[in-house]
Amino acid sequence: MADPHDRADRFELIAACEAETLGRFANDVLADDPPLSVRQEPRPQLVMQQVREPVERRSFNLGEVLVTPAEVTLDGARGFAIVPGKNERAALSGAIVDAAVAGGHETTADIVEALEDIDASRREQRRRAWAESKHTTVDFQTVEGEQ
Amino acid sequence: MGYVAVTAGEELVERAEQLFESQRVGDTEDVSVDQIDEQLSRLTARAMGEGGLYAPRLAALAVKQAQGDTVEAAFLLRAYRSTLERFDESVTVDPSAMIASRRVSPAFKDVPGGQILGATRDYTQRLLDFDLVGGSPEDPTAEWDLTDEGDPDRLTNVTELLREEGLLHDPDEPDVDDPADTTRESVTHPAERDEVLQELARGETGAVTALGYSTLRGYGRVHPTLAEVRVGELPVRVEHPYTGDDVTVTHTNVTESEAVVPVYEKRDDPQFAFGYGLTFGRNERKAIGMTVLDASIQLESEEAPAENAEFVLDTIDGMDSFGFIEHLKLPHYVTFQSILDRIRAIRERRGLSEDRRVGPDDQSAETPVSGTSDDD
Repeated sequence: MADPHDRADRFELIAACEAETLGRFANDVLADDPPLSVRQEPRPQLVMQQVREPVERRSFNLGEVLVTPAEVTLDGARGFAIVPGKNERAALSGAIVDAAVAGGHETTADIVEALEDIDASRREQRRRAWAESKHTTVDFQTVEGEQ
Repeated sequence: MGYVAVTAGEELVERAEQLFESQRVGDTEDVSVDQIDEQLSRLTARAMGEGGLYAPRLAALAVKQAQGDTVEAAFLLRAYRSTLERFDESVTVDPSAMIASRRVSPAFKDVPGGQILGATRDYTQRLLDFDLVGGSPEDPTAEWDLTDEGDPDRLTNVTELLREEGLLHDPDEPDVDDPADTTRESVTHPAERDEVLQELARGETGAVTALGYSTLRGYGRVHPTLAEVRVGELPVRVEHPYTGDDVTVTHTNVTESEAVVPVYEKRDDPQFAFGYGLTFGRNERKAIGMTVLDASIQLESEEAPAENAEFVLDTIDGMDSFGFIEHLKLPHYVTFQSILDRIRAIRERRGLSEDRRVGPDDQSAETPVSGTSDDD
């Protein structure tokens, strides 16, 4: 189980969160107009995915992955998020949500609950997909003596 | 080589582009980017793999804009990518970290973890399904009675199984943690393995398939047995700037292929050589072709096209071949005028008449007109 109070776990949950959910929480956080400064504007950028091939165990660059990072300071607490794809609003919202939880904003409990739901939903989707794949597991039989 | 600029009415060029766009619009309902992303994922996979950019939604947009031309879509993705900054390189991930949705091993019937067919039509007949004409909204898996299999297992790579048996040689070189990046520095030959794999991963599907096929047809020595083919999700992990922990940003859907190639004459200890393929998206044909080419290139030979790294890497990139092939339809008036002038001059010197007959005394041997041009 991922823990939304843990910075690294929260990062992953925010990255997996729907943009609308992040936007809603960010609006709630900003409703009282807390001091906010954007340390890193949300802008699409690239992460080069590196893989270690299993033959020679050498790393190589598979290709770049489009992501959108953002960083803020909210009422003295720093927040950082990266979301997949080109999604500036989700990235900025994610950074605000991260900072809100880090700073103990009054919406923290709601945010944590939503992130826990996302974790549960994500795990369930993954288990369902795995069960579907395993449902197609085959035991090939060799047929000897037949053409 | 020199280029001669031509000018044309900008408005006419715009009209041509508008006519192109009107063909996409047509008289039917607009295809949404979401529909392309979900229902035509093989197209977006090709665009992402060949574009070298994993961005499913933008790939769907590119496919829509390119009217289904995947190389054009890959071009659009590369052009977009060229406007962006690099945030970071990911933490290097082992393919065994993949959450597989499909894994088959043609080499090992009883491969640990099982033969997971996953979503495939590999074992059924290729017949047109006319029911799709009227739409087919029903999910045929909706009534499946699934067993809870728990969290996904990490499946052991077949290479590791062979290595445990001593049938695969241990790497000669230490792990290289800072691989070359061919998007930033051009490949120089002889190419390193990391450069070869990156270029193959970005290769055009048809080219990779065709060159891989060439060796199976006898134009090369590699005829591998596939150790496994798998499709799944690889984590994209970066270092969190605050905590220093490795954290997962997202997962990329990838296709991986490994092949065993018996190489008896190259080593004192008879072992297997290997070929490897990994590319973005669901694209098994390309991953297997890449595997064959990787194995072939390791032979370091110029006897067959597929074994010549320089030949392979110079011809498989879709942007390069797209550009060179398609530029031929752009204005070449100076080139052609030059060729015409030369031919007319030769004909005149040979005394060729307008009825194309050579005069009786003409014995001169002129150099034939070559295919070189002055503007390409």
